[in-house]
Amino acid sequence: MTCDWIKENVVLYVYDELADDAKYEFEQHTRHCMACKQEVESAMAFRESLAETAAPEVSPNLLVASRLRLQEALEEAQQSHGWGRFVFDLTAWMHQLKLAPALTAAILMIGFAGGSLTTWKLLQHAPGGSQATVDKSKLLEGNLDNFAGVESITPEANSNKVAIKYDTLYSQTAEGTADDPRIQQLLLMAARNQHNSGVRLDSIEMLTRKAEDNAVREALIYALRYDKNPGVRLKALDGLKSFVKDDVHVRDAVVEVLMHDGNAGVRAEAISLLEPVRADMSVREALQALAQHDKDQFIRSQSRRYLESTPNLY
Amino acid sequence: MPAETAVIRTAVGVRGRRANSQSTGARVSQAQARLNDSDLIRASQRGDRAAFETLVRQYDQAVLRLALHLTDSEADAQDIYQEAFLKAYRHIVNFRFECSFYTWIYRIVTNLCLDHLRKRQTRREDHHVMTDSSGQEVDLLERVSDDRSGANPERDLMRRELGAKIAHALTRLTPRERMVFELKHYQGLRLRTIGEMLNTTEETAKNTLFRATQKLRGVLASMR
Repeated sequence: MTCDWIKENVVLYVYDELADDAKYEFEQHTRHCMACKQEVESAMAFRESLAETAAPEVSPNLLVASRLRLQEALEEAQQSHGWGRFVFDLTAWMHQLKLAPALTAAILMIGFAGGSLTTWKLLQHAPGGSQATVDKSKLLEGNLDNFAGVESITPEANSNKVAIKYDTLYSQTAEGTADDPRIQQLLLMAARNQHNSGVRLDSIEMLTRKAEDNAVREALIYALRYDKNPGVRLKALDGLKSFVKDDVHVRDAVVEVLMHDGNAGVRAEAISLLEPVRADMSVREALQALAQHDKDQFIRSQSRRYLESTPNLY
Repeated sequence: MPAETAVIRTAVGVRGRRANSQSTGARVSQAQARLNDSDLIRASQRGDRAAFETLVRQYDQAVLRLALHLTDSEADAQDIYQEAFLKAYRHIVNFRFECSFYTWIYRIVTNLCLDHLRKRQTRREDHHVMTDSSGQEVDLLERVSDDRSGANPERDLMRRELGAKIAHALTRLTPRERMVFELKHYQGLRLRTIGEMLNTTEETAKNTLFRATQKLRGVLASMR
């Protein structure tokens, strides 16, 4: 054990990176060597002086903004192809299904135009003027709005007839209780129906009864964050009420809503939900920011009230 | 490779002296949370975005804090945070459980931060000034006095001066030295873990830390 070795390892000692035996020898040496003792004290003082000053910290606003930005980017992001290519992608399939009627209509139009052209050509060359016809009546039996896709196109030998086998979409009714997995699946899909807020409201209301299920809770959090309709967001808040204490994701979502929701009613409801967890560090930080800067008088006073009634444990 | 047992400090809500002192218990162990990582990773690999977001939540505060410390800019920190997790999402199918997710994501973040530091080194920006998310410049001297002014203005002034000196001294480090020092001093990671994250050995990490502290002590001493 030499003084050079001490100098080389003083940083490791200060940051507690020395093995136990090396640490013991280090301390034995510095106990008797004044120069090395001073070196250790100097290194300790250096570390202490750095600890005296605060490095910039992440504010709740920055964290929330970063999370929201990431969530938006993830919506668009695609995973790279590995084994994932063999996994069934429901979203892509739904997207394809959405485009299917347009594709079917296009195929039919091309088919119809091709058929008409063939008919016309055959009429031009047919001896005796026997007419080849396209049996439109059969094709139009179904409603064109319900076309889902063409399964096969079979031309009839020695004639201009063609048989097209196609699928159709029809509305159906499913009945069952909220415990039925099929009903739950439909409700989860309905909760993201972009076109009809009434459907979303009804589905969220049903889903609040099964909020103990993780998938349902995710759907409620999604509605709380992204639904354009304040009524739906309020309903989702109501469903999440009893999970604020135990589920940190629910708590985060409520804090996000409190800080960023444009509707004062939703935010007033959100702040009342946070009352039982007002001692939580992130909630406390959010309340401090709201107490000072929120544009709404009620939110400011309520935040102050919660802060005053919560002892600062830190 | 065994699972990581290192700890990460929670970043948000930890301020001032507490945040800088590892001995005050401000570091929170997340080892328990990582036990669930494997399930979340497998679900993420199957394309479950909710699982990936849950995974993100376990590490994103520490990642943002690391990026903020190293870039001194909220906007740059946000960009690095975003790019790191998007990269992780895109490539999580390639994650082979050879290291912990925590090491993996930190490896991505440290690489992005190193690139940023290298670019900035060529621009030689003024490190005393950082920009917040609204693009406004904030003097680090002002930040140092957070929460603790008033009680002792003289001490506060000294602390602010020291903060400025430290900020200046940190600019003298190479990107790699700055990174190792940040991971050791502010993030409290073990040198072995730092070595794994930076794709190097524990010994190299030790030497880099040694050089970084020598430089910092030298610069700070010369400024007194």
